[in-house]
Amino acid sequence: MSDIQLKPVISMTGVTKSFGLNQVLKGVSLDIAKGQVVAIIGPSGSGKTTLLRCINFLEEYDGGSIKIEGTEVGYKDATGQRRRRSDRDLAKLRADAAMVFQQFNLFPHLTATQNVMLGLVKSRGKSKSEARQIAHRWLSRVGLTDKFDAMPSQLSGGQQQRVGIARAVAMEPKVLLLDEITSSLDPELVGEVLAVVKELAVEGRTMLLVTHEMAFAKEVADRVVFTDQGHIVIDAPPNTVFEEQPNDRLRTFLSRFGSFHH
Amino acid sequence: MGNYHFNFAIVWRYADKLFNGLLLSIELAALTIAIGMAIGLVLALIELDGPRWARPLIRAYVEFVRNVPLLLLVYLIFYGIPSAVDLEYDATTSFVATLSIYSGAYLVEILRAGLAAVPLGLIEAGKAIGLTPFGVLCYVRFPMALRIALPSLSNTYVSLFKDTSIASAIAVPELAYGMRWIETQTFRTMEVYLLATPIYLLTSYAILMMLRLVERRYAIAR
Amino acid sequence: MTIFLQTLPFLLDGLLTTLLVAGSVVLIAIILGIPAGCALVFGPFWVRVPLRLYADFVRGVPILVLLYFVYYGLPAVQINLSSMTAAVVALTVFKTAQIIEITRGAFQSIPPGQTDAAKSIGLGLMDRFVQVLAPQAIRRFLPPFVNSVVDTVKGSSLVSLLGIVDLMLSLQQVIGRTHVALPLYVMGALMYFSINFPLSVLSRRLEKRFI
Repeated sequence: MSDIQLKPVISMTGVTKSFGLNQVLKGVSLDIAKGQVVAIIGPSGSGKTTLLRCINFLEEYDGGSIKIEGTEVGYKDATGQRRRRSDRDLAKLRADAAMVFQQFNLFPHLTATQNVMLGLVKSRGKSKSEARQIAHRWLSRVGLTDKFDAMPSQLSGGQQQRVGIARAVAMEPKVLLLDEITSSLDPELVGEVLAVVKELAVEGRTMLLVTHEMAFAKEVADRVVFTDQGHIVIDAPPNTVFEEQPNDRLRTFLSRFGSFHH
Repeated sequence: MGNYHFNFAIVWRYADKLFNGLLLSIELAALTIAIGMAIGLVLALIELDGPRWARPLIRAYVEFVRNVPLLLLVYLIFYGIPSAVDLEYDATTSFVATLSIYSGAYLVEILRAGLAAVPLGLIEAGKAIGLTPFGVLCYVRFPMALRIALPSLSNTYVSLFKDTSIASAIAVPELAYGMRWIETQTFRTMEVYLLATPIYLLTSYAILMMLRLVERRYAIAR
Repeated sequence: MTIFLQTLPFLLDGLLTTLLVAGSVVLIAIILGIPAGCALVFGPFWVRVPLRLYADFVRGVPILVLLYFVYYGLPAVQINLSSMTAAVVALTVFKTAQIIEITRGAFQSIPPGQTDAAKSIGLGLMDRFVQVLAPQAIRRFLPPFVNSVVDTVKGSSLVSLLGIVDLMLSLQQVIGRTHVALPLYVMGALMYFSINFPLSVLSRRLEKRFI
């Protein structure tokens, strides 16, 4: 039984990824255990978003391996040969690593409820009525009880992002991937979204968040990972990272953010 | 299909018709674009900055011209007007006039959108350095509008070049007319078309490529 | 005034032919062009290249030249078509290329984030296409499509040069008989206008609603 406990939800080893001549990930290794909340911070171009997008195979990584609960993402390793998985396999795996996007990416032709329902019906095989119940439940949990039938164009940025979170969490994924989910929001709307994320963290969901909200990362994360130029430079608890700042590049990076002590 | 003996030599004898036709097509297009741009620019400015009552008139012009076939406009101006009014002009003049009016209607829309998209800040900067409204127009608004509108303008120019083929309907000796002429003289239909079609293709492509080069240097993505 | 009333039956006959030609062209072009457009966006390399070449080729040649080619050129190599068939074929070749372009544009203007989001909730290729991409593509397709219908009606006037008695040719025949040129040309223009203008307005309204 301890095997299952110890097996990380996400296991990344030596992952490399290049875009043309530019190598963005230069051998990244990272393990995420169940229930952990890991924040990834770092300068632009350091590869943090790419890292996230490799996990659910929105980007094809070139080398190394990424496993979700032991299953390799994207590639099948039959007889030692790496072969790309079929679209159907990929689809199943992706639902387990649901993502919330910086640009929200809500489906504009569907209502909030329908946005949340779509994955439940098509991917998790739920019936429409069951999916609707689940969708309503989650939309209420993120504070949008009166917006069930609203179209995305009728919602504020913060509301849209909360629908995006509901859409991802409703899939009951093994890990939630949050890609700078507040970076496109007006400042006054950031709080409502972070409040939802905090609730999910407290519940014990496994989450991986790329963020610029340092104070939030400090508050919510179990571990903070600092990436720079395609490498993981530091992987430590928030106190170590933010208070002690044991690395020069980290210190330079953080100095741009001013104080984030509560 | 097997009984047809291709004979390019006969067609080649009349190749000058094609060559001169191409030149004329290009001339027609160039002239039309020049006049059309002038019409389009003036009307666009009137529509944006001019008196209110002018707008519906310009709208009527644009809507009428854009919803009526070019061929009909060509006939209307070449046959219709001289029959009612005491005016005489040759086919080429008539066609240039028609196509200019036609292109003007499309260019008004494009130029108006381009002018409207010039950032207000730039216009104010122009005023701030002491330019008169006319100066602002010449040095700030017009150049910027052109750059913004370049992709649309490129496509329109190439279309206008292709539209010069309609002139063949009133016997203007441009490329399409040349094609038909050789064909009726020699009955070598396939050869003429196999020869002439690539000419249109290559010329259209060449024009487009040149404009794309200009775009690369000057265009501004919105 | 009486002239207009006398000539109206002939003109209406011609109008019917125009609508018939334009309608057939639009219909066939949609049936061929939309799947081809999808193939251009989603298909493999060896499908995309010929389609690309076709679309670029056809759009570099004036419609009139295409019409002449099909009508005069094909009989010379023993392919004999009635004038109506030739006209429809030529116009359809042209219009299909246009539809392919519009379809391609419709899909490619969908933000890539939509595909990302669809993937991330576990939708496979079919579901992504049907549930997320196609609905958005249709909205982007309709305004330029309606515009292209207007272009088709205008382009159909060229079949008069092949001797097909559409609105344009019947107009000329009537003018030839009555020698009243300008007023009849204006009337013909108004008839074309009355078909195309509502379509143009529809296109603009669709654009506002959807884009």
